[in-house]
Amino acid sequence: MRGRPAFYESYSQELALFNTRPKQVGVGVLVVIAVLMPFVLQDALLRTLAIAFVFAIGALGLNIVTGLAGQVSLGHAFFLGVGAYTAAAISGDPEGRTIGFGIQEMWVWLPAAGIVAAICGVIVAPLATRLRGLYLAIVTLGLVFIGEHVFREWSDLTGGAGVGRTAAEPVLFGFNFSESSASFSRDQQLYLLMFVLMLVFALAARNIARSRVGRAFSAIRDRDMAAEMMSIDLPRTKTLAFAISSFYAGCAGALLYTISGFFDPASFNLLLSVQFIAMVLIGGAGTVGGVIAGALFISLLPTLTRELPAYVPMISSQVTQTPNVFQVEQILYGLLIVVFLLFEPRGLFGIWVRLRTYWKSWPFSY
Amino acid sequence: MKIRKVGVLLTALALTAAGCRGGDEGGGGGEGSIDAPGVTSEACPDAVNEDNGCIFLGTISDLTAGPFAPLGVPITEAQEAFWQRVNEDGGIGGYDINVTEYVRDNLYNPETHAQVYAEIEPEVLALAQSLGSPTTLAILEQMKGSDVIAAPASWTSLWGFEDNILESGSSYCVEAMNAVDYMVENEQIESVLAVGFPGDYGGDGAAGAEAAAEANGIEFTSVETAPGQEAQAGAVSSIVQQDPDLVIIGTGPTETAVIVGQAAAQGYQGQFVGLSPTWNPALLESPAAGALEQLFIHSGPWGSYGTDTPGHEAMREALGDVEANDGYTSGWAWSYPMKAALEEWLDGDYSKDRAGLLEAVQSLESVDFEGMLPEEAGNRSAENDIFRQSLLSEVDPAADAGLTTIQDFFTGPSAEAYEFTGPCFEG
Amino acid sequence: MTDLLEALLRGLGTGSVYALLALAFVIIYKATRVISFAQPAMMLTGAVATSYIAPAIGFVLFTGLSFFISVALAALATAALALVVERLAIRPMVGKEVFVVAIITIGIDIAIRVVANGFIGLGARPIGFPWGLDRVELLGLQVQIRHLVMMGTVAVVVALLFLFFQKTRYGLAMRAAAFDQEAAMTQGVSVGGVFAMSWAMAGALAAIAGSLLATGAGVDRQLWLVALAALPAIILGGLDSLEGAVVGGLAVGVVEALVGTYQREYAPWLGDNVALVSPYVLMLLVLLAKPYGIFGTPEVRRV
Repeated sequence: MRGRPAFYESYSQELALFNTRPKQVGVGVLVVIAVLMPFVLQDALLRTLAIAFVFAIGALGLNIVTGLAGQVSLGHAFFLGVGAYTAAAISGDPEGRTIGFGIQEMWVWLPAAGIVAAICGVIVAPLATRLRGLYLAIVTLGLVFIGEHVFREWSDLTGGAGVGRTAAEPVLFGFNFSESSASFSRDQQLYLLMFVLMLVFALAARNIARSRVGRAFSAIRDRDMAAEMMSIDLPRTKTLAFAISSFYAGCAGALLYTISGFFDPASFNLLLSVQFIAMVLIGGAGTVGGVIAGALFISLLPTLTRELPAYVPMISSQVTQTPNVFQVEQILYGLLIVVFLLFEPRGLFGIWVRLRTYWKSWPFSY
Repeated sequence: MKIRKVGVLLTALALTAAGCRGGDEGGGGGEGSIDAPGVTSEACPDAVNEDNGCIFLGTISDLTAGPFAPLGVPITEAQEAFWQRVNEDGGIGGYDINVTEYVRDNLYNPETHAQVYAEIEPEVLALAQSLGSPTTLAILEQMKGSDVIAAPASWTSLWGFEDNILESGSSYCVEAMNAVDYMVENEQIESVLAVGFPGDYGGDGAAGAEAAAEANGIEFTSVETAPGQEAQAGAVSSIVQQDPDLVIIGTGPTETAVIVGQAAAQGYQGQFVGLSPTWNPALLESPAAGALEQLFIHSGPWGSYGTDTPGHEAMREALGDVEANDGYTSGWAWSYPMKAALEEWLDGDYSKDRAGLLEAVQSLESVDFEGMLPEEAGNRSAENDIFRQSLLSEVDPAADAGLTTIQDFFTGPSAEAYEFTGPCFEG
Repeated sequence: MTDLLEALLRGLGTGSVYALLALAFVIIYKATRVISFAQPAMMLTGAVATSYIAPAIGFVLFTGLSFFISVALAALATAALALVVERLAIRPMVGKEVFVVAIITIGIDIAIRVVANGFIGLGARPIGFPWGLDRVELLGLQVQIRHLVMMGTVAVVVALLFLFFQKTRYGLAMRAAAFDQEAAMTQGVSVGGVFAMSWAMAGALAAIAGSLLATGAGVDRQLWLVALAALPAIILGGLDSLEGAVVGGLAVGVVEALVGTYQREYAPWLGDNVALVSPYVLMLLVLLAKPYGIFGTPEVRRV
């Protein structure tokens, strides 16, 4: 067996959590590095990374419905919103301006947010399971617009457009992660919390992928008719995919705004949905590691583009002039996504595969 | 090749990582008596006064793709000119003020706002501008946590209740009250319709209009509308059907042009009053220009670009040859309280850190706006310090930014009597 | 009654612009199987170009001529931009996953819109439309001239488009490529050329639509949002149907206008601004009955 890691002798081997040893070691090393980061990086960057981890949770959810089951959904922002408002309402101040029940514990509001979002997913599913491809994408986009309208109008819950409300507090067994403690700053705590949660969700996603249901999802993606022939119940399985994906989105929504502590209904728009799709595609659809990398890439891209123009001479920082650094920032954000996908349409995972093949077959380039 | 690149990348990452997270945050110079982030004893980059220390103020504004970029850009520009002038006059208490080093674009998105705030917060003493209400609310708790103060760039009535926000001029809510009072006094007004975006701006104005209508015993209705020229059909048909005597508008400039132009074209002959952000001189070239000249009055927290006060004069001189726009006026006017606060803090007996600056802000009894606003507009120490004066202008193609004052600062009886217990839009 | 008819006419006016935008989406979709999210940027670019060209054209033979000429020139300019974009960013992606291409078009949209915004400047740019918000009386109804101009322009453009597709070699080539790319290729149709032509046409259509929309109050930064209203229209009509795009666009315009006029009266509990989401509700309702839109081709799959 030595030297032939891709040679499987049994299904259980192929379906293992980490099917190769290097993968196991690699993930271990990455986790150790990530845990050390809070002691090295500055708060602002930690905060961005914490947000990126939450985005990764949401992207992992979208990956289940889009990457595994092959149903492209642009409605992710809506489910994020449902989760965010559920969590905010459960943990909110009962005396406050907006609906609140005052249950601050995260182990209550986090699963609740996921479940409510999942229920919404199930409600939408009957329409969604009838459609495929771009039709499905645009119908789910409709969900975002209708959801935005509801969020704007239901001001008792959401605070209303242009006003917003406070988000849930990340309190676990009495410990509030969003208040700096004696030994850690707020951003260090949030970083670690979000990282651990992301690991949990990633592990769950990986396990779903290798379970019976997960393989049914992939079968539908590859050829839904063939899947049906193998007695996979299409509507039921697709509904399940939507429910799981929405659960992830709901949890991500609940967590995302605990970091800034505040959000308004305008947040749950088309752009947010598109960001999630971009994370999945840029990372590499269908892969857990790739999607997490994609989430990190998209979340860190604005930070990167804010730094880049400083190295380009001749660009004015006067805001009234065109072009100025802020415009260049935005243009770079757009163009980097374009150039990246042109260069490697299979995303970060595609780059990784290329690198791996290069190593494996070294010194032969093919 | 690729592997080498990855290696280089990893090394670079490790190096930058190790270089970050120092024990002491921020650029505190340390050697002077001032121990606050964003204050150094070294001169500013490109300093006017080489011998002065430097105070860095951050700016978070809508500069490119957001809906309020047409306001954010001139506000930011005017503030740069404002502080440049302060520096040319010798700075404040031995310090030059730099507002150009930490300027960030928020895209009018609360999450982006919070993110860039976290980036610049350790580097600046305070914020010279924080544009928008939901955006600023997203950082308010953290500002309070570290005693950061900010000049806002929005006129929502909420800021009157926040110590960390140095608002200038009256809120949309007060503006709307005064507009209703003025029109009731001067015209035959028996019904008011408020048309606007929901929330912190249009909703705030509508709440003020409602309060004033109630105080005057006249009929009140309201219609919410959404951004976009094609989205105004509902608002226009409401105006035409209900035919109110007065319409208070709280939208963007193009929406205002569409609403006024189309309502007039459909035969509406009543009076429009638009809150401060409804006006842009470019509307004079729009198809609605005729209707605007006839039917539109603009309510503002301070005089338009061409107004004759020393403050306006100084602003026009400092900006030089720019296209007149009241974004500039606003940016300039919003900077005076920050200047007064810094002077008070550096001259007075306050602890030389952010908490001291906040304390200095709270003790301000007046601010010298060089005539742009009455001095008491800067009163932040009294129990009930909500400023209740606004002014009205009419459309005048000959004037600098298309507006000429018809009623100087005044407080209507409704605003006078109104008891502010919280932001108006929360109703 | 007059209220209803006037609302209908208003709806048909904006609806015909939606129809143009929807046609642009459908033309690109038929040729490349991709929905181009760069259309909002193309629309904004077209409107901005018109606002720069219109004042530069001095002569006036009859009212409105210079406006129409500048719109046509802006359409050409936008088509040229679309050609460049297609060649640089879309052509290399032939055969790649459609959603990856869609994300690329979003990146392009972001970049182009920032540049267009830079040209708009601080206010709204006037577009040189001679009639402004004027109205005429037509059979006892008050109609805005701009809505009539919209309908007229769109009728002409649509007629030209159908002639093009039915009567010219290039139109035939485009239809052939849309039907079966490989078969068309074997018959000597340059599929790359078809891609380029579809992008150029879509760019020109979006430019015309943008210029027409800006006749109300000038070009401002929020104009691009309107292009998104065409998305429910294309699904309504069926993604691959040109007739569907026209019908869908008109339907969306009419429903929006009717809901905007009557919803406050009859269903105030829905909240304000329902008109803006009504096209999506309509889309969902239609899809419940017809999963491929009204005119769309149902997907036939073999085992």
